[in-house]
Amino acid sequence: MFKITEMYYQKSYINFRMNRVLSLISRILPLRVAYAHCDIPCGIYDPNRAQLATHTVIRMTQLLGELSNEDKIKLGHDIARITSVKEEHVDVIEQELGTLEDDYFKEQHFQEFPELKGFFSSALKLSGKVRQNVDIESADLLLENILKISEIFYKTKKLEPVRLKSPYPTQREIVTYK
Amino acid sequence: MLLFRVKVIGHSMEPTLRGNQVVIASSFPYFFGNPSISDVVVLQHEKCIIKRIAKIKENKIFVVGDNISKSTDSRSFGWIDKNKIIGKVIFKI
Repeated sequence: MFKITEMYYQKSYINFRMNRVLSLISRILPLRVAYAHCDIPCGIYDPNRAQLATHTVIRMTQLLGELSNEDKIKLGHDIARITSVKEEHVDVIEQELGTLEDDYFKEQHFQEFPELKGFFSSALKLSGKVRQNVDIESADLLLENILKISEIFYKTKKLEPVRLKSPYPTQREIVTYK
Repeated sequence: MLLFRVKVIGHSMEPTLRGNQVVIASSFPYFFGNPSISDVVVLQHEKCIIKRIAKIKENKIFVVGDNISKSTDSRSFGWIDKNKIIGKVIFKI
């Protein structure tokens, strides 16, 4: 049994080293881009869905913080339901960010707005953080990144973005256009 | 190109290949053999795309994405000439 485990770890280690070496060697190879798109040219893109999903995640995070532990059964039940909704909406955020980054924004947009790549990168990291934790600060930062992406989205459409106080119980902002 | 890196953009090859993942492809395997069903290939069709071969007939291939509900592939643009293949994906980094 010990030998089998030891062999398994040795094999994993060799695979890891091989991948590392191949990864380093491969850097000298020419790079090209290949599209794996759902490329039906519908042209319908909108950052609103990502914003709404983020507001939902914030609201679920607030609700988790407001739970009372008087009734243990109800507490467990509510945590399960709220966490499930939070997970579902983080999925939506990640999907929408992927669609905007890969399908809508083009190379010229990233050149025109060099900060855009960073907003996507931060938003994706924060989406993982709000999924794993009950962390209102990260959820707020996530919303801020998504609002900035939304502002750039409207600018690329030659529209004037505007921030408004949302009508939702989150008491946070949304971005729309004039 | 004998050997080259390919950056995948989009989600039509998930879960096999994620968006922004980099893979290594080569034209070498097809110097000595023909494309096979289930090969993941990089090909030129209007632009450079990456798909999996689902069917082969004579000199044409029918390609589809692994993420079948979110892929634009031969189901919409039809069969593609084999000579449009730029390379076969040989490993993921």
